[in-house]
Amino acid sequence: MKKCEQFKDLILTDYIDAELDRDSAGNLENHLLDCSDCRAFFKEFKNNVAMPFQQAPHQPVPAEIWDTIKKNIEDENQRTNPIADLIDRLRGLIVFPKMVPVFASFALMFLAGSATLETMHVQQAQAKDQGEYLVSLLSTADASNPSDSNSGSTPIEHYFL
Amino acid sequence: MEDIAKDILIRASQGDIQAFEDVYKASSSFVYNVAYRVVNNREDASEVAQEVFMIIHHKLKEFRFESSFKTWVYRITANSAINFAKKVSRTKTVPFEEAFGEGAVLNEARTQMDQEYQHQLVEKLLAELNPDQRACVVLRDIQGLSYEEIAQALNININTVRSRLKRSREKLLSVRRLVNYEKV
Repeated sequence: MKKCEQFKDLILTDYIDAELDRDSAGNLENHLLDCSDCRAFFKEFKNNVAMPFQQAPHQPVPAEIWDTIKKNIEDENQRTNPIADLIDRLRGLIVFPKMVPVFASFALMFLAGSATLETMHVQQAQAKDQGEYLVSLLSTADASNPSDSNSGSTPIEHYFL
Repeated sequence: MEDIAKDILIRASQGDIQAFEDVYKASSSFVYNVAYRVVNNREDASEVAQEVFMIIHHKLKEFRFESSFKTWVYRITANSAINFAKKVSRTKTVPFEEAFGEGAVLNEARTQMDQEYQHQLVEKLLAELNPDQRACVVLRDIQGLSYEEIAQALNININTVRSRLKRSREKLLSVRRLVNYEKV
């Protein structure tokens, strides 16, 4: 009996709707050959519930539906603000692929990073040049004025004075 | 529902009224018939069909062809019709057993093949179901959609489609048993 209930569930759904795989449909059809109760149930359901819907005539679409829709669209077009419409049209013309903003952001970040590094390199080079210049001045001062070594002023003071 | 070429849809989305009329011609029979069977009333079906096409007209420019246009129309139609039917929730006019029982004017044996009889029979049977069940039965039995297509249209899973159809059909079978139809 439990098996019959399961078959009846399939008759009401997947079997009548041709959604059942071939093996399962074959099993059910074999059962229908053996079980008069399930056979009667299938026939009753098919003739009195499934068939009326399958034979239901399609209704012709009333012509006035399109007339009303067309009129609504034309009315809306007239009411539309011309500036907003122009913006909409321009937006439609300039279409960016979705990934463009992402690539643009990466490119900007890369350029900004490069510029910062470049500035840092220049500053470092300038600092290095100044250091070397000071060292050379000190050594020059030491060599040219050995008598001044006891005057109480340092070479760096000479540089600034 | 008929297939619609992509270039027609694109032109319609850009405001070409002639292209939109082509879209209407290809899909209006589906939209109107689903609406009619779900709301079970001609005037309401016209209202729902107009609403569906105005939604399509407004949203078409946002349609990106990532899903099928048909599925999109199925979904808008089913949602609009179900919402309308739930909102209106008309009281039933004539119960099925009264319309088709022993005292009915219609003689089932004589008018079995009559289209008007079939039409009334389907109308009365559908009136026995709630709007969600009605939409499932209409999409499957009248429009011939697969379980997968119904699931996408109603945004539910396939097992819910299966269980809604089963419950609907059990109910319809019990209603049919109430009237004294000729036993097969």
